[in-house]
Amino acid sequence: MSDPRYDRLAELVLDHSLRLQPGEVLRIEADAVAEPLVVPLHREAIKRGAHAYAALDLSGLTELLVAHGAEEQIGFVSPIALREMDAIDASITIWSETNTRSFSRADTDRRQRQLAAQRQLALRRRDRIARGEHRWCGTLCPTEAHAQDAEMSLEDYEAFVFGACHVLDDDPVAHWTGVGEQMQARADELAAVRELRIVGEDTDLTVVVRGRTWRPAYGRKNVPDGEVYTSPVESGINGTIRFGFPAVFGGREVDDARLRLEEGRVVAAEAAGGEDYLRSLLELDDGASGVGEIAFGLNYEIDRFTRNILFDEKIGGTMHLALGMGFEDLGGLNRSALHLDLICDLRREGEVYADGELVWRNGHFLQDPQPARPAERV
Amino acid sequence: MLVGFCARVREGDLVTLESTPLAAPILRELYRKVLEAGGQPLPRVSLEGLSENLLKHGNDEQLAWVNPARSDDIETVDVRIALEAPGNTRRLSNVDPARHARHERSSEELRNRYLERAAAGELRWVLSAYPTEAAAQDASMSLVEYEDFVYGAGFLDDPDPVARWQQFGERVDRLAAFLSTKRELRVVAEGTDLRFVTEGRTWIPSKGQENFPDGEVFTGPVETSVEGEIRFTYPGVFHAREVDDVRLRFEAGEVVEATASRGQEFLREMIAMDEGARRVGEFAFGLNEGVAIFTRNTLFDEKIGGTMHLALGTAYPETGGLNRSALHWDLICDLRSGSEVLADGELIYSDGQFLNGVG
Repeated sequence: MSDPRYDRLAELVLDHSLRLQPGEVLRIEADAVAEPLVVPLHREAIKRGAHAYAALDLSGLTELLVAHGAEEQIGFVSPIALREMDAIDASITIWSETNTRSFSRADTDRRQRQLAAQRQLALRRRDRIARGEHRWCGTLCPTEAHAQDAEMSLEDYEAFVFGACHVLDDDPVAHWTGVGEQMQARADELAAVRELRIVGEDTDLTVVVRGRTWRPAYGRKNVPDGEVYTSPVESGINGTIRFGFPAVFGGREVDDARLRLEEGRVVAAEAAGGEDYLRSLLELDDGASGVGEIAFGLNYEIDRFTRNILFDEKIGGTMHLALGMGFEDLGGLNRSALHLDLICDLRREGEVYADGELVWRNGHFLQDPQPARPAERV
Repeated sequence: MLVGFCARVREGDLVTLESTPLAAPILRELYRKVLEAGGQPLPRVSLEGLSENLLKHGNDEQLAWVNPARSDDIETVDVRIALEAPGNTRRLSNVDPARHARHERSSEELRNRYLERAAAGELRWVLSAYPTEAAAQDASMSLVEYEDFVYGAGFLDDPDPVARWQQFGERVDRLAAFLSTKRELRVVAEGTDLRFVTEGRTWIPSKGQENFPDGEVFTGPVETSVEGEIRFTYPGVFHAREVDDVRLRFEAGEVVEATASRGQEFLREMIAMDEGARRVGEFAFGLNEGVAIFTRNTLFDEKIGGTMHLALGTAYPETGGLNRSALHWDLICDLRSGSEVLADGELIYSDGQFLNGVG
């Protein structure tokens, strides 16, 4: 018997995130391991009158391409896939994997070239989204691989995921709509701010945000969601910052990263683990040492680090900075093939000042109600 | 075998690899082999649950919808390698046959286009099977026994399968050439006395390129010439449904009577699918001695050495067959005991064997 929680997650994505209409063409992209979510998503989409189909990947194939493909094969972008991007009204990416480390030992250059080729499809989609021609949402189906990264059993990990998505609420759509309203209020307040100052352990960073648009993320593009973010003024970032959580990017980890920034550029970078990798990412292109995003994590159901950025960046009480690509539609000017989110834990220690005034402490905006919550885990 | 011998993948070929996740081990091998041959592998993985969703819950519009991405595949790719790898062969058994029919009609145009490109040599395709528990169950075997059956049928235990298939191919070629000289065939067996004209039509030798395993020689009989009755010894298996003891009577090429001891309603629904579904699109002799038993899988069953099969519905264009239909359903007759086939009045085949000197 199928798990009804997957059905409810499917309904949330289709009704709240995508607002899928009859007759629309929906593409569901996933590794075949995400079958427990793919099948209900597809079924509910069919019931809503859409033309839904799945484009499924099988683990191990891309690894073979990166390991054994000739240059033309690694760089190949299927013309069928490009044309397909233009023919769909909506898409869902389920980021589930069977092995989150399977590219750890792959040749980095070959892997980067393969990713660059596939990025063309993502860019095509992004352009259509910007023109209002396409709607997209990203989510996750719990697998053993992700549970393992989170150091949990699958059963516990499912509870974590479904809790973070609020699918067991009486009315998940109402919950996320309410969250949206609350976060919009924060975003409106932040819009008036010239400069933020983040103070924490080995952290004292000023970030100019004057004139930039803050956006609340409440389940339209990610499920789960829960952040308020913007692209800061590119030259206006100065100071030091220490990231208490490991960053996992491209299947590799950067542990305890510490950056020093001057005029918006990283001038010094250290990490207890993966330092070389971090530095190589900073050199990816010109924009990679710049900052593309600053955000507050506001999903308090996500109370621990689980080595998956979809969840980690939303951890209630954290902030994150992204090196690389900024958000054009929020005023961001930084361009890069990189968008690396680095997360700062401000739940116990740390404060944020807006134009000198304290706005955040103990992991909360002062204006937000401070619900009693269970003791934090790591 | 699949990438080299069957599909003959070349540098630059776009190759779709189509199956379910159960075939993952072989899909990985195929993917790698296609890369080695210089082709571009395009995985096309399907989940049985999705067909179930559509057939259970889709409205008419949804059942009729053709995915433009799949049309694009058919128009564009150079090679299709498809593997049956079912998880449950009866998953769709409870779907209303009329809905099956509606959905089938939606893919007719696509299938016609793909047969067209294949007949023109623009698209090469191979259909094979990866052994799964579900298929083993249908064959009333263990998985290990079923694997032996599948690989045996492909001569893969042979020290040189390619040479073996080439040898086999020569025999099939000779049979095709022989049959091309005949005007009319008559099949006589228990409950069967069927005549049809094949003059002017092409006999195609099937020797391991399009199906793997393979082993048949087939043509599209002159549509209006099919006369008489036929009783199929094996159950008809189609769309997860089984139809037992199918008996058909033909007049002027059309089915005028269709009965079955089980599944009669389904049989009649399929025949009523469209104009062409009540005519014969294909007649073939099964020639693979490596397939000796019925395993409820048409891919294998129709190749059983000593059988014949008839397909209701669409013909393969390269035979000269003109019948077009959303249906193509192979029904198989075991001729290995008490049967005769006459060509232009002369006995050419008896009890499942072509006579000495023939082919």
